[in-house]
Parts: sequence; C-alpha cells; structure tokens
Amino acid sequence: MLWTAILLSSLTFVLGQTEEFQEKLSIKSLRDGRVASSFSFSILLRDASPRDPRFLAFDDDDSHHYTLFPLTLGQILRQYAVTELHLTLNAGKWNYDAWGYPDESGVGVGAELRAWMAEGGPSSIDDRWRGLRNALAGLFCASLGSLDEQRTTSPALSFPPDGYLPDWGLPHELRHASYASEHVCTENLTPFLKLLPCKSLSGLATLLNPHRLFDADWHGIGLHVLWHPEGVEVRLNVQLVSDPIRISSSRKQDWSFKTLFDRKVQKPCPVAKSSLVVVNLPSSGIYRVDPEPSFIKDGKAYYDLTNSPGSWNIKTVWPGDFEYPFSDSTPLVPFSVRRKLLSSAQDTGKLSIVVTNNQEEQLDLLYLETMPWIIQFYLHTARVYSDENLISNISYTLPVPHARPGTFESVLTLPGRSTLTFAMDVQKAFLRYTEHPPDAQRGWDLPPAVFTPLAHNGSTKQMRQFYTPSLLVDLATPDFSMPYNVIMFTCSVVAFIFGSVFNVLTRKFVIVRLEANGQK
Amino acid sequence: MDAQRPRWQPLQRIRRLLQRNADPNLARIKRRKALYALIGRRIAVLRLSLFFAGYIWMLAIPSSQLDRGVYFDENAMQPAQVNTYWSWKEVHDADRFLDQLELLRDSNATSEQRSQFIANEFRKIGLAASTQSYEFTGVNKGINGSNAYAILSSPRISGVEAMVISASWISRTNEGDGTLNLRGVATVLALSKFLKQYSLWAKDLVFIISDGYMDGMQAFLSAYHGQTQSNLRAQALELTSGVIWTALNIDYPGHSLSHLGIFHEGPNGRLPNQDLLNSFQHIARRTGVPVVLYDHRDDLEYLHWLPENIRNHREIRTYFTQARNLWRHIGYQASGRGSGVHGLFHQYRIDAFTMFALPAAGPHGFHSLGRIIESTLRTTNNLLERLHASFFFYILTNSDRFVKIGNYLPSAILISVAMMFGGLQVWVEAAWAKGPQEEAKTPGAAPMTWVKRRRPILEVLFIMVFTHLFGAMVFFIMSSETYSYFQLAPFLLFLAAYALPLTIPAITPQKRSEAIAPLSLVLKAFNLCLSSTVISIITVLNFSLAACLAVALGIPLSTASSSSTKAVQMVKYSTYVVLGLGWILLRGFAERMIWNWDVLSAWLLPFLCIVYFPLTLQVALVCII
Repeated sequence: MLWTAILLSSLTFVLGQTEEFQEKLSIKSLRDGRVASSFSFSILLRDASPRDPRFLAFDDDDSHHYTLFPLTLGQILRQYAVTELHLTLNAGKWNYDAWGYPDESGVGVGAELRAWMAEGGPSSIDDRWRGLRNALAGLFCASLGSLDEQRTTSPALSFPPDGYLPDWGLPHELRHASYASEHVCTENLTPFLKLLPCKSLSGLATLLNPHRLFDADWHGIGLHVLWHPEGVEVRLNVQLVSDPIRISSSRKQDWSFKTLFDRKVQKPCPVAKSSLVVVNLPSSGIYRVDPEPSFIKDGKAYYDLTNSPGSWNIKTVWPGDFEYPFSDSTPLVPFSVRRKLLSSAQDTGKLSIVVTNNQEEQLDLLYLETMPWIIQFYLHTARVYSDENLISNISYTLPVPHARPGTFESVLTLPGRSTLTFAMDVQKAFLRYTEHPPDAQRGWDLPPAVFTPLAHNGSTKQMRQFYTPSLLVDLATPDFSMPYNVIMFTCSVVAFIFGSVFNVLTRKFVIVRLEANGQK
Repeated sequence: MDAQRPRWQPLQRIRRLLQRNADPNLARIKRRKALYALIGRRIAVLRLSLFFAGYIWMLAIPSSQLDRGVYFDENAMQPAQVNTYWSWKEVHDADRFLDQLELLRDSNATSEQRSQFIANEFRKIGLAASTQSYEFTGVNKGINGSNAYAILSSPRISGVEAMVISASWISRTNEGDGTLNLRGVATVLALSKFLKQYSLWAKDLVFIISDGYMDGMQAFLSAYHGQTQSNLRAQALELTSGVIWTALNIDYPGHSLSHLGIFHEGPNGRLPNQDLLNSFQHIARRTGVPVVLYDHRDDLEYLHWLPENIRNHREIRTYFTQARNLWRHIGYQASGRGSGVHGLFHQYRIDAFTMFALPAAGPHGFHSLGRIIESTLRTTNNLLERLHASFFFYILTNSDRFVKIGNYLPSAILISVAMMFGGLQVWVEAAWAKGPQEEAKTPGAAPMTWVKRRRPILEVLFIMVFTHLFGAMVFFIMSSETYSYFQLAPFLLFLAAYALPLTIPAITPQKRSEAIAPLSLVLKAFNLCLSSTVISIITVLNFSLAACLAVALGIPLSTASSSSTKAVQMVKYSTYVVLGLGWILLRGFAERMIWNWDVLSAWLLPFLCIVYFPLTLQVALVCII
C-alpha cells in the first residue's frame, strides 16, 4: 500500500508538475535619502513535496526533471531530505530605525543558514546537516563549511517554519548556524544567478550588476525553500540599500535603474509568469515618477514588465536638493535595540542589551542569543534594570568548550514607551594556542542576537525576526611576534638569575673531603 | 732544560687546566667560592661602579648613539600610498564651520547650546548624532559639560570596528589653559562631511567633540566602555559603534600652523603603538608639513651661554634637542596624567595621539591638515588587526628617532641592582658582630673573631607594614573631600606625618643584647631590597617614573645610617621626611595630582603616598632608631 503511494506520488511529481517563475522588484525611497531595492525571484514546483528521510535508503529518487526549478539546488534538497531551508549572505548593518523592516527579514550580518529536517531514516539529522552545509558551501562558494558543530544551535522558539511541515509522523527539527565574519561578494552572486531560469540575461535579474550591488551601503542575497500545500517554493532574493547622494555626488535623492544599477531592463524573461516592479511612492513632497506606472494602489506604483518589450528605466525625480531630517525622528520600527559587549578586559566582560519600546502598547519580545563557546554567560549576574520583573521563560543551553555553542532564549516584556536594560557578565575563554585564527589580534566576530516580537496569543508565526548588529570580542591573545619571544627570553634570564641568587643566599658551599673507604 | 722552563710554564698551566684528573665539581665549587669572595671583597667598588654606570647611562639616553631612526613594522598600513581628495572646497566648508563656531564663542554659548549646535550640524550632514552631558561630583564638584558626537556607519561593513576622530573644545595649549580649539572642532566637522562621501571605509568613523579639556573625553569613553567611576555622572550614550582601534585627536588652536607636533603619552606610563606615530609623521612629511615632537620648534635658545662653535656642533645640538624632548617625556609619563586627551583612549587599549598644530603665521592651514588626516585615516583603515607589531616600549627622542627598550631600560636596572647589592650586604653585615677579642697567643696579627647574631625580622616587617599603612592613611586624607577645603590641611598633614613616626623609637626596645642585630641595620637592608624591587618592576610599566625613583632614592637610601648624636639624627630624619613628603606642601603640584587622581585615575598620587613616602619614611626611621 505504502509502495503504491510512493510510486504514485513520484509519478505525479515527474509528470504532473507545473513550474511557475515569478519575479518582482520593489523600490522604496528611505527617510535618510537612501533607496532600498528588493528583488524577489520565486519558483514554485506545483504539487511537489519534500523528500521523506526514510526513503533516503532507496536510491530511487528520479524526480530530478525540472524545467525552471534549479537542478543543482533540487538535488541538494532531495539528497539531504530538507523540508525547509533559509540561507542568507549579507553585508552591512541594517538600520531598522531609519529604514524600517526589510522586505525579507533575514538581514543578520554574515552568513546564516537554517533548515528544518525530519528525524528518521538511515542518516541522522546531524549527518544530513553536515552534508547540506558542505553542499551549499560548494554551490555558493561561501564559507558555510565554518558553520560546524561549534556554531550550530537549535533554538526552540525563535525560528518557526515559514511554510508547513509535512505530516509524516516524524518529528521535525531545526538546525541554525550563523557566521558573522563571512563577506558576501561576486563569487557568491554568480552561482546565485545561475539558479535563475533566465540567469542575468533578461528580466529583472539584468539589473543585478555586481559593481553596483556590492557598492551599496547594505546588500544581501537570500535563498528560501519552503513547502506549502501548493507545492515546493524556492525564493531567491537580493536586497540592497543604495545611497544615491553618495553615488551621484550631488545633493539629490533622485534614482533610476540607470543610476542605481548602471543598467536598464532591456528584454523580459520569456518564462516569467509575472514580472513586476513596485515603487513605494513617497508620502509627501513633490516628485515625479517616470514612466507612467501601469496602476497605482495603496501609495504604490506598479509596473507590469511581463513580456513587454522595450527598455525600462524607471525613475523618481525630485525638484530640489535633499535635506537630511534635522531633528531626531521617531524610529520606524516598534522597538529599537542596542547591544554591546562592554569592558576592555581580556578575561571578562558584560553583555548589555538596551531595548526601547517605541509604541504605546505592551510588547513581548523573544530574545535569542546564540553564542560560540568562547563567550560564556554568568546567568546569575543577569540583571534587568526595570521596575518589574520583565524577563521570563528563560531557557539556556550550556556551551561546551571546543564543541558546542550556548543558546540563550527568553521572553522580555516591555510596557508601552519604556526602555529595558538587560546586562549579564560574561567570561571570555582562554584559547588553545592553535585555535587562534591567522589574524589573531583582530578578535572574534560574535553572531547577532535575534528578537522576535510575539503576537498577543504568544505565537511567533508570521512575526518577523529582528537582527542586532554583530559584535567583536577581544580574547586574551598571545603576541605571535618578536616581543613575545623577547618576553620569554627575558623571563628565562630572570629565572636563571633568581635561581643563582637564591642559591647563594640559602646554600653554603664547602669542600667535604671524603675518606677513601677501603680503597687505596 | 732549566732555562727553557719559564717559557713552558704557561703551556703547562693550560694543560693542567685541561687535564680532568681533578674532581670537576670540586673545581667548580672552588671557582664559585673564589668568585663570591671576590664580589664580597669588592662589593663597595662594585656598587659604586653600578651606580656610576646607571647614572651615566641615564644621561646618555638623549645622545644620538643610543637611538635609531623609526621604521614601519606593520606592512598592512601602507602609509602615504593613496591619493587624497581633500581640497579647497572642504577648506571652505571648514571656514564656514569656523565662522559659526566663532559666533558661538562670541555669544558666550553654554556647553549645552554648543553641543546641541554641533550635533545639529552633524545631523545636517546626514550622520547619526547625539549629545552626552556629564558631571563630576566629589572633590572636583562643578566640572560638568556636554559632549557632541556622531557616528558614520560605513557602508558595507558590519560596524564592529571603529576609528575615532576627536577634538576637545579646549586646546592643550599650556596643558589646557582655556585656549579654544575652534579650528580643531571645525576640522572635525568638515572632515565628517567630507569622509561621508566615500564607501571605502572598512571601519565605522566616530566623531567626538568633547567638552572641556580632559574631563569631557573621560566621561565619553567611560560611558562608551561601560566603566563606572564613582565620582562621575555621565549620561548613557544613545548611539554606539564597535570596538575602537585607533583614535586621532586634533588640536589646532592658532590661526595657521607651521609644524605639526606629536603628543603621545598616555596615563600611567602607557604609550601608543609606534607604528601609528611613524605613519603620521611619514604622511605629514610627504604632504610637506614638518613634524616635531611636542611643541618644540628647533631652536635652542637656552643654550645661548655656550660658545657658538660648541653650540652649533651637530652632536651637541642633537643631544640638547633630544634631552629637551626626553625631559618633557619624563614629565608627562612620570606624572601619570599623559600629555593630552589622546591619553584617555589608551586606558581602553586604543592607540591614539594628538596632532598639535603649532600656532604660527603660516604657511599651512586646513588644507594641509585635512589631507594629512585623510591619509592617516586611510592608513589606519587598512588595518586588518589591532596594531600589535612594532613597539609599545620606546622613548621618542625626536619625531623620527627613538630609543629601543634595550637601550634605556638598563640604566634604571643598574641602579636598582646596586641598591639590591647594598641591601644584601647590609643584611649579611647584620648577621655578624665582632666577638670579644681572643687573647693573643701569638703577638702580631690577632685574628678577629666574628660572632653570629639574630636578626629581628618580625619587628622590622611590622615597622615596614606600619609605614605603608601610614602612607595609605595619608592618601585617604588627601583624596577626601574635606582636605581641599582647608587652606592649612597640607601643612597640618605634613606636620602629623612628620611627628607621628617619631614615636616609633620610643616603643621599640632601646637596649638590646649583643646577640641581636640592631633594628636599623635590618630595616635598612629590607628597605634597600624593597626599593630596588619596586624600581625594577616600575621600569617596564613606567620607565620615566622608575628613572625618577632611581634618582630620588638610589644614593639617599644607600647612604642612610644611624648617628650617635640626637641632633644629627633629627637632621637626617627631617631630610628624609622632606624628601618623601615635601611635595604635599607644593600647593599647585599636589592639587594637580589630586585632580589627576580624582578625574583621570592617574596612579601617581596613590603611588607616592603608599609606596614612595613609606620607603623614605623607613630610611628616616633607620636614622633615629
């Protein structure tokens, strides 16, 4: 019975699948004169489902017949039976206060990878997680191999699945890892573009000019795979925040495809079901949008580029120079976070989090710290500087030195318009000589903390994660250079002199003549 | 055969040495005994020569024989390898900022108005800016102000590292006599506008306009690093950035500048990495602005009494120029206060220095200064790691010459070794007393007999601990709030500190048996050993302070001795107490030290009270016990 079901499902997978490709670009002028662009390419594999890990034992997976769906990615997903996957590679610090929430919430600096996988079958989740990491590292030319056991965590609440988890009767588990030192660059973008049906030859992907993308103040690429009853969806997205004032060297915030990307959309991607450009219109002021949009709805101008020939250079023009907002403007997000590792000592420090609720309503935040073992929390020193006890549901997974990171998850409650300071002493590990990286004196990047606002019923579903900037920590580092040798040498000399002087002071040398006993 | 014998004698002696028929251990012990006997016999000469060598060495540090030219150790810095873009447009911006700042000055704006104005200027440029107000309580009540700062979150980076460009509102002219650093502030404002145009920064840039001279930056940095100081109420910072690696402090009090001066000493003897200073002076020279150390222009007017041909001799000129630099360096380093605002950064492991624009009628101004700062920032921007190569232990004798640690450290060490030998000698002497003369069986050389005697260690340790506790008490009185209210307080404190220890001889047993060594000898031995240890430890922490100690304590402590007449005893006692505590009567000196301790946590005051004064007090007691 089961066998027929599998056969049937794989048959439908091969024959009955329909694939859809949609692309969308939304552009928004930000309060500080910058322009946020967000590309989203989504490929839907209709009626497909993720692979059940129990079938990994049978080498009968013949569903690698795709037309639009990227084959290399599909192979990886099926090889390691991944239900849901999120990979982001970002550079820069997302300024929530001035830029608001991003279209795609994964804006943590560096590389972040998380996957939901079902337990069961011949290979364990951790084996498949290792394989997945390495496969993606190869696919994207990124240092995802560094996301090893020393960085992998499984937070319980902060990252619920975006899609659905199939009801196979198997427990699903999350694996999450982030690596703040990863730098995103052209070598990551090229394989990324290869996953698109039209590459960067036509359609909106034409605009992804590496010279401009990687000069943007903030830029990131993301890959999201999720399953919902319609099928398996792959979403590839690129976000960037450019500064037209810096690029143009005039004081104007005007932007166009030409100034932002140094390219225009010359021809449409023929296989795209829809190709849409959405421009968020400024709420006030005089400006001109060019060309005339297809339609305007809710303060957004929509351009339908689907199968439309001709070159597109959408632009917005302001008559006057841009003036920076003079007074302190209110943040665009419901809460603001400042996170800092205080003290300049090399053995201890203090992790300090200041959260401000910008709203009138009470706010419940899920706070997640995933710390490499080089930083160990002293939980008993955790203090919340506020009138009430506003921290609850603490769960803490202890780090294991040289093996496992620590995971700290808790719920912070902020009354309306309040500021909460959370501080905790930390201990900095003393590393083994060989554990230091080649640039030992730089310090270690610590992953960002993640805040997730909880809905009033306490669920995290449909809530967007909020990433703090990463941190740099100085550990006690031996000076791997000449003075180090000098210090060692000097110490030896001092020890030698001390020994001699001590001998002289405490011992007395006399000549003892031993009578030759019986001999001669 | 016999005639040839003398010629062969040396060879035979060598052969005898090489022959190993004798017990080698025996030979070694014999050799060692002979060596120690020699040291024991010649200890006086040895000590004298060590003292002599130490002091001569100290005098020789400024000579051109001990120093060498500076060089770069960190290859990543690549100083002066970039094109600079700072041009007359930016100079114009700086001039406009200066006009507005002068308006503020002329309207007697308060600290708050000033910092608010500066923060608003930063915001107009498009930077995240804020202000921080602070207030000192306790002894220095009334020091308050408001800092303005801005953070440029550089594009494309995670913002975990930062560089600082700062200017204090009050210039360092005459150690902060109130001259305003308006052009320095204008430079920072213009720089912030200019640097924002580029996406090449690999670190966040933090611009700080600190209020006051040193106090504002102290408040900012303690808030930035979450350090609490009991007498400081500083507002928490609304904006923060990453770990600061380097900081440039700009001081431009005059109308134009002729030279750029380097001030680099930090608090409590800390120095910035030499690569930073080297890069700056290299860049400045390439840009065409001469660099000097401190504000010393190259004129030696105080040498006018020397004959001209001697005065103009190269070696002598160099010596006196460098001696003047060294003297200034010792003053800054030994005082523990550092030479300016940059020093405060050193407390947090940030390499920093002040570039001081020497006021002159010309020829340089904003244009050269801006280009030098831009290029220096590009250099520090190149750093992939903290500055760790090159030197942290050095003495700059000139802007482009320095003395390595191996060439200056031994001078103080030699003196401390001489003191240690002196202490050990006294210690040994204390163990023996001349025994009763045995009746001379044979006429002529009657052998002297030595009798061993007990050394009273416990009593002496008790006295020493008492002196240090006494010093700690003096320190707490001096750093208390009430001390500064009374005009007569220093005088009374000195009298008390002078009179109280005089009771010690009264409570120590006066008449001792011959079998116990006199207290004074053991105390002197311990005192010398302790002073020697203190000096040699301080040499690595703060060489200038160690050198001062070596000069102040070396000979005086070694020559202390008891005397038979009460009057001479009292004169000696008084001399040593004045040497140890006389400084509290110098009102200005003591007040500045209390300020340094209270506001900047400079260690000199506690050190003088708890370590230095007790050492001299011990030796003063040696004279009267």
